[in-house]
Amino acid sequence: MRVGRHRVRNAVGLSLILGLLAWLAGWMVTRDQTEIAELSRASQAALRQPSGSAQLISSEQLPEMDGAMCEWMPASAENTLLASLWQGQRPGAAGSQQAQRAEIRARKPARMIRDAYAAYSSIAVDIANNEVVMTDENLFQILAYDRTANTPPTARMTEPKRMLGGLQTKIEFQCGLYIDPRNGDIYAVNNDTVDTLVIFSRQAKGNVPPSRELATPHGTFGIAVDEAAQEMFLTIQHDSAVVVYRKGAVKDEAPIRLLQGDRTMLADPHGISLDTTNNLMYVTNHGSVSSRRTDVPNTGTLGRGENKPNWPLGQEVAVPGSGRHEPPSITVYRRDARGDVAPLRVIRGPKTLFNWPTGIAVDPDRDELFISNDNGDEILVFRASAEGDVAPIRVLKGPKTQIKNPTGLYLDLKNNELWVANFGNHTATVYARTASGDTPPLRVIRSGPPDAPSPMIGNPHPVAYDTKRDEILVPN
Amino acid sequence: MANGGAEPLRRIEGQKSLLGRTMHAIAYDEIHDEFIVPQQFAQALLTFRGSASGEEPPARVIQGSRTMLEQPARLALDAVNNEIYVPEDDKVLVYPRMGNGNVAPTRVLEGPDTGLGAASVAIDPVHNLLVVVGARRREGTKIMIFNRTASGNTKPLRVITGPKTMLSRIGGPHAVYPPTGRIIVSIRGNIDEELASDESFVGVWNINDNGDVPPRWTIGGPQGVLQMVRGVAVNPKHKELIVTDKRLNAILTFYFPELF
Repeated sequence: MRVGRHRVRNAVGLSLILGLLAWLAGWMVTRDQTEIAELSRASQAALRQPSGSAQLISSEQLPEMDGAMCEWMPASAENTLLASLWQGQRPGAAGSQQAQRAEIRARKPARMIRDAYAAYSSIAVDIANNEVVMTDENLFQILAYDRTANTPPTARMTEPKRMLGGLQTKIEFQCGLYIDPRNGDIYAVNNDTVDTLVIFSRQAKGNVPPSRELATPHGTFGIAVDEAAQEMFLTIQHDSAVVVYRKGAVKDEAPIRLLQGDRTMLADPHGISLDTTNNLMYVTNHGSVSSRRTDVPNTGTLGRGENKPNWPLGQEVAVPGSGRHEPPSITVYRRDARGDVAPLRVIRGPKTLFNWPTGIAVDPDRDELFISNDNGDEILVFRASAEGDVAPIRVLKGPKTQIKNPTGLYLDLKNNELWVANFGNHTATVYARTASGDTPPLRVIRSGPPDAPSPMIGNPHPVAYDTKRDEILVPN
Repeated sequence: MANGGAEPLRRIEGQKSLLGRTMHAIAYDEIHDEFIVPQQFAQALLTFRGSASGEEPPARVIQGSRTMLEQPARLALDAVNNEIYVPEDDKVLVYPRMGNGNVAPTRVLEGPDTGLGAASVAIDPVHNLLVVVGARRREGTKIMIFNRTASGNTKPLRVITGPKTMLSRIGGPHAVYPPTGRIIVSIRGNIDEELASDESFVGVWNINDNGDVPPRWTIGGPQGVLQMVRGVAVNPKHKELIVTDKRLNAILTFYFPELF
């Protein structure tokens, strides 16, 4: 029995609680009498109308499973017990409805599920300054560390050299990252909550405004920059598109190119990487997509995209019922592809092992393509020239790798290293570029204790309560 | 009773689940022990076993050309009458709970008299009501209460809207608690605030409220702990209100016996 498991051993404390509970029960019954009568009348009226089909004609609350005491002293809930005690002390006990409302408005949560540590989501190396930079989608930060930092196994965490975060930064769910090799400027892409690409100077720290902002379509994810052409590429998850801006674009500037449409085979695109040697663009796709109407111009119609050319067609012009789940894929295009054009090549099929392929980096000199396979807890390496249903040439995976839900990666060709941002375990891990199998990382940067649980909450939007299992269901 | 940095008990994710990383609604069906999630990118409604875990495929999928689904971001489930409700801006689509495949809606609530904008829906099977929250473009947010079986161009029975309501911008899916006739709505606050707002709160109304009626209670704000509230759910067993907050990136549980 729940009460038995959580028996209050102090007799004085038990008496106090019972007294409070008796008072509260009486107070609630009296307070709700008017509303109950009102509801009862409404219920009867609603229930007596014939509808020609089966109706619910009565409803009774299920009996409490563990008796009245359990209602007030839930199992294993010290916090709720405290809350009920605290509840009894509220000003509403003295009377006025206004005071009761004020008390409820100010009421503190009894519990809060929240990760206290940074969850790294994307990563890039500042080669010139020998630093590694990461976005944190849990505490909404951008963190810079020494490239050679290594958190000892016994240490709680590694302190970053610099941190950016706070409302002025507009940093929130930053999922894509680019470091300007010329000056160390940090470009950080937001996904789903703030439709603004933020750019900071390398020296920026604390809660400071971005040095530059760009209003983007909703649902950006990946970023890649062609330094020679001074062009910036962004994937758009929600509209299955790629938009290309001037690298120096600012504020409300419109994209200069758009890649979108059924022929592109873009489907919930995430990562993007450029091979400027061979003039190619690589995109990872999770596979969910719907078609857009073809009788409307590629000019924004809503919000910040209004009247802008090369703005992705949004979900408001989706073709009803055209949605589908395509297999996950890598699609390859000419670097300057635009409009509704088919990819030059597609890598997809069961041999690829794709399972939410997310981060991507191409090494044209070695003809290699690196993919962070989010739900596979692994890094997949393919021939960059691969096509069709092909197996990876290397797989980096296993408990020694410490790879867990890798959402970002970075290929450091100067130091011949591969970096992985592990959203699932508070770490960024680095390996030799050629590592494969269950290989331990060369170094680890950790934001919290090694045994800290990882809730992996990322923009929790809806919530449901599972009455059968006493569980909270939270899609992210 | 999870609290702090709790590890999830189970996770449903991955390619075979047909889910994505951008999910905006969920409904648990305690009668049939299932839950439903809309997949907005793929215009699909995914129904899973209540105990689903890992990379588990949905038990049923509503998707295809007959569905009329456009951007199904949110939904509600009526486990008593076996129906699924999907708000689609100017209309509400209704499907059979057991629908699977390319299923047409069994009825559609749509037309100028409805007053929709529909951003979020909830069902009260006890009082036979459909409660819709949303706003027509460039109009204020309102709570619209229809007969549960309303279809076509039907007027709402009651509309809660106006300055006293403090209904600025809906935060996420709302909830109803039928036994006491509560309507629980999350409000983000100032429409211009993308990141956080002091005006964020959860408000509680009654199904019989009509017109410019202030919430009977607010919790978490305004000027409270909530910074950018999203979804709400009730836990009748423990007399609690569960709330998600985007800026806190957290799930908060309030002890709220007055709701029940």
